[in-house]
Amino acid sequence: MTASERTDEAEAATPPVDDGARLARRVELPDRAPPHQAAPVGELVFDVRDLSVFYGDFQAVRDVALPIRQNQITAFIGPSGCGKSTVLRCFNRMNDLIETARVRGSVRYHGVDLYGADVDPVEVRRRIGMVFQKPNPFPKSIYDNIAFGPKIAGYRGNMDGLVEESLRRAALWDEVKDKLKQSAFALSGGQQQRLCIARAIATSPDVVLMDEPASALDPIATLRIEELMYELKKDYTIIIVTHNMQQAARVSDRTAFFTVDVRDNGQRTGVLVEFDDTGKIFTNPGEQQTEDYITGRFG
Amino acid sequence: MTTPHHEELRHRFDEDLHSIRMDTVRLGGLILENARRVSEAMLENDLDLGQQVLAADAEVDKLAAELERHAFETMALQQPMAGDLRFLVAITRMVYELERTGDLVANCAKAHAHGDGFALSPRARGLLAKAAKASSDVFAKGIEALADMNPDAGAELDRYDDTVDDLVSEFYTLLPTESEGSGLENAISLSRVARYLERIADHGVNVGQHVHYIVRGEFPGDARAAD
Repeated sequence: MTASERTDEAEAATPPVDDGARLARRVELPDRAPPHQAAPVGELVFDVRDLSVFYGDFQAVRDVALPIRQNQITAFIGPSGCGKSTVLRCFNRMNDLIETARVRGSVRYHGVDLYGADVDPVEVRRRIGMVFQKPNPFPKSIYDNIAFGPKIAGYRGNMDGLVEESLRRAALWDEVKDKLKQSAFALSGGQQQRLCIARAIATSPDVVLMDEPASALDPIATLRIEELMYELKKDYTIIIVTHNMQQAARVSDRTAFFTVDVRDNGQRTGVLVEFDDTGKIFTNPGEQQTEDYITGRFG
Repeated sequence: MTTPHHEELRHRFDEDLHSIRMDTVRLGGLILENARRVSEAMLENDLDLGQQVLAADAEVDKLAAELERHAFETMALQQPMAGDLRFLVAITRMVYELERTGDLVANCAKAHAHGDGFALSPRARGLLAKAAKASSDVFAKGIEALADMNPDAGAELDRYDDTVDDLVSEFYTLLPTESEGSGLENAISLSRVARYLERIADHGVNVGQHVHYIVRGEFPGDARAAD
């Protein structure tokens, strides 16, 4: 059980310029195992217990318990206001950036308390990258979008190689290799989103969080992102929030269904209704509420 | 715990599902009627009635094809999930079961017409009447289970099906004597009919099991009726 009410002014997508000191005083987060000795698929990456999130007096999420496993894609689905994005943001302490936000309960990352007093949220966000709903490339060249994070984090290796590798992994290299110096804004929406994914993986994260990553994209660009997720899960653990149930069904291994619990006094709180294998959730869910939602009977 | 907006959504989809279920029940009813008519034709040696049954099978096939098309189109357009998905997948299987049942009924009529009617000893006639009724009854119970979406009809269906199997076995034991009395060809036709009646009942049991699957998400026990 950990109480944390700390806030942090760092921008999540933009690593702070003076990062050295932070890294120096960071608590040792467990390293991601090198690929040749990668943790077995299914090993626990996050263990969430009794998680509640408050914004001031408002309780946004109540008593969520979830295991997130290695090299799996976990999808969060549910109606607006069910707290799925709020829970997602707990995994890389993005809620710290909201001044009134308060997290209660425990989020253990490879056994380490993510909200421990000596854990550096910036280091957390390096390990646990994030991709947002709207593509948000930096107003820089394609190359610099990728190189920025590693440079800030003190990467001393072959930057050209890292940029190429990241773009290849994000299935974007062939489309941009001849225009790396051009502005990222010249790319299409789908390409920009893949650039943001490439940027997120350039710092060798362990986990990639995706908050509605394809909801601003056309169907073909959406399928490209989904294909990419399928490739990426070989190396990363992915958690995706999506409004698109078919997308959750197509890409994820496990699905968590959240809904809004409305109390007699009108108070609305997000709760986790059911968490199971995606195949089970979409063919034979255990809870009537899940069935009503995924069959589209109740919004 | 309550869900936020309790407005009902997807009326068109619900209408599709409802009409698919009602059409399937209707198809079952049509086949049941034919099954009862063909028993009468066989027992009363009414060849005209047999011909009417054969002609009616075209209607069964047409309705089955239309139902299958409707179920596929609904799957493609409405992206069914969970219980809806189970329902539509089960319906496509049930339509197959029903269409096969219709063929078996027509086969009874064909076997009967083949030798210009059956020669039946009183004992064989009595057993055939019982087996035909029991077979139609099992099939009718399967269709009822679908109409009521009753997942628990399965156990009862199995019991009724055992009765059919017993009657048919008993009927087989009469065939050597029937063969001596009225010829081998007549006895072979009768043995075919007995087999068809047994299969018609099996399809009724299968329909009941599909209803169990739709409602409960699994088939009753591990044992599905052998095909």
